Amino acid sequence: MQLPTVPTHQPRLKVFDRRQALAVHSAALEILEKFGVQMAHAGARDLLLANGARLYDEYWVRIPAHMAEAALRSAPRQILLYNQMGERAMALRDDHFYFGTGSDTTFTLDLESGQRRPCVLADTGRFARLVDALPNLSFAMSMSNPRDVPNMDFIYVQAFAEMVRNTNKPMVFIADRLEDMALIHQIACAVAGGEEALRRKPFLLNYSEAISPLRFPENVVDKLIFCARKEVPICLPSGSNAGGGAPITLAGAMALGIAENLAGLVIHQLTQPGAPFLFGPNVSALDMKSAVVSYGCPEWSLTQAALADMRDELYGLPIWSFAGATDAKTVDAQAGAEAMFSITTAMLSRCNLIHDVGYLEYGSTSSLEMVTLADELIGMARHFTAGIPVNPATLALDALERVKDAGAKGIFLTDDHTFDHFESALFLPDLLDRSRYDTWQAAGGPDLYRRSNDKVRRILAEHNPAPEKEAALLQQINQLLEAAR
Amino acid sequence: MSFETLSQTVIKGDMQAAAELTRKALDDGADAQQILDQGLIAAMDVVGRKFAEGAMFVPQMLRSAKTMQQCVEVLKPHFQGAGMTTKGTIILGTVKGDLHDIGKNLVAMMLEGAGFRIVDLGVDVSPAAFVEAVAKENGQIVGMSALLSTTMPAMAETITALTTAGHRETVKIMIGGAPVTADYATSVGADCYAPDAGSAVTEAKRLLDV
Repeated sequence: MQLPTVPTHQPRLKVFDRRQALAVHSAALEILEKFGVQMAHAGARDLLLANGARLYDEYWVRIPAHMAEAALRSAPRQILLYNQMGERAMALRDDHFYFGTGSDTTFTLDLESGQRRPCVLADTGRFARLVDALPNLSFAMSMSNPRDVPNMDFIYVQAFAEMVRNTNKPMVFIADRLEDMALIHQIACAVAGGEEALRRKPFLLNYSEAISPLRFPENVVDKLIFCARKEVPICLPSGSNAGGGAPITLAGAMALGIAENLAGLVIHQLTQPGAPFLFGPNVSALDMKSAVVSYGCPEWSLTQAALADMRDELYGLPIWSFAGATDAKTVDAQAGAEAMFSITTAMLSRCNLIHDVGYLEYGSTSSLEMVTLADELIGMARHFTAGIPVNPATLALDALERVKDAGAKGIFLTDDHTFDHFESALFLPDLLDRSRYDTWQAAGGPDLYRRSNDKVRRILAEHNPAPEKEAALLQQINQLLEAAR
Repeated sequence: MSFETLSQTVIKGDMQAAAELTRKALDDGADAQQILDQGLIAAMDVVGRKFAEGAMFVPQMLRSAKTMQQCVEVLKPHFQGAGMTTKGTIILGTVKGDLHDIGKNLVAMMLEGAGFRIVDLGVDVSPAAFVEAVAKENGQIVGMSALLSTTMPAMAETITALTTAGHRETVKIMIGGAPVTADYATSVGADCYAPDAGSAVTEAKRLLDV
């Protein structure tokens, strides 16, 4: 008997059809033509005006559609990120997805006491080392705004150096302005083995933000131009959150965010055609009671799924997104539910670079336990998203025949087919508990937070990035940090 | 004279009806300050309470504040003597280097609704501009906002500038914004930290004992 081998369909989520994608894109272009953006940066203003944009009022620049379309054509459709050893790690394009942590939380849950407390630099290191160890996280962000740095003006430089010391994975970094960005770039060059090596094999991506609605501060555009010139990949969302910086209705919030992204892209591509730019506006919603930007709401997942459809239908550029975060204050049932919702939908809609894994409290608090739990949830969603392979080996009629022939003693668990396939056929949880009640009780009845906490402690006690950073490099970084005191 | 209907209209956020009721109250001979205190501010007290309890959403609360402001415009020409009596003057701004203002604008609306006079200096406000406004506007509270951890130090700079200019004894300082904490407020010598717009009102009333 000839059993079929057929391609495996991998489940996908679709939110926008082509007509919706085109309609939102058209609205974004109309925003740029009709209102334009408020461009505080004189150099960028001149660049825009020299290429067909028009100035009106004070610093407002109208950008014609053809400039946006040209920028979309010249931006690369793939961004390759390498790890810090120069090995290919992330190919940001099409349906590839990669998860990682977030930046800039004010507080973290203390690993010992479980209490929320202000972040210190050692936390940045712990999060980076944890990411380095976890299999489903591909890149690290700082996860903290350390309060114990010698000079707050260089907080991001210190955080970057601390991440370099603790992970070899690719990194997404924050900078405040040109000065600290340049220092971070110097450290990155030291890690990569020179500016040209970093340009050829970037291991880092910058996250900067314009301000909705339609405002481009000078320091932000400085960073954008710096990244374009150095070909450091960058994304530039604006925080066009529904009800906050943008209209309450998601279509309008998306159109505004995309318009802002396109304005950034135009400046970026005029500065250096073909420089890598990660697309994506970050459209969440303001909570209508607390006025916080929600990290657990369905709206953010919905807009980024729609953006993935716009990528597929129109833009072709890899996109920036979020998942694995929550508005809950502790690692509780709400945290698990919200994290899993965004992880699953981000994966099913094939968002490309997915950050903020492990955020609690709408991004104000980070948690090592939450990162670890989310890593497992990503594994679970990944298993689902891989679909069901259909071929002779998975249809397994031969195994059935053996078990049938064995008569009363026949059991699949003892068959070689089970032994050969169980690790790929099934998702094997580590933190999610399926133990028998008595076993669980005998272990002290630990809840998911406790189990995650144990796993974090184990990892931090045992794991060090391999290979370790060379002493000469660490010394060079310390010398560069002298400028950040 | 009871202003219950007017209050209810403000709570509901019916701008047109509230303005008409305000005009009617004036026509009936009511005192402008009395309409303000017993009709409008009383309504906003209810709104503030309901909002704090989670029984009202932000857009509803802001609509009530907007409704109240429209009624105040109707009242303005009718105040006796020195004009409208407010709960105090608050100088507000997002600190130097920071251009984020959604949170600060929410705070301004809420404080205004609660009966304070607001002088909003906008965004990227230098310490010198805060000092100048305190002197010129006779500010009793300075409220500072920051969204970025890198701009938080501008709060400390502003407090130093106020101290140097000799205003620190006469002005109260309230700070807020995503990266700001109660500990940070203490460490820079602010009088209080307000985590959100609702608590900004509570804290402002407490600071000025009104």
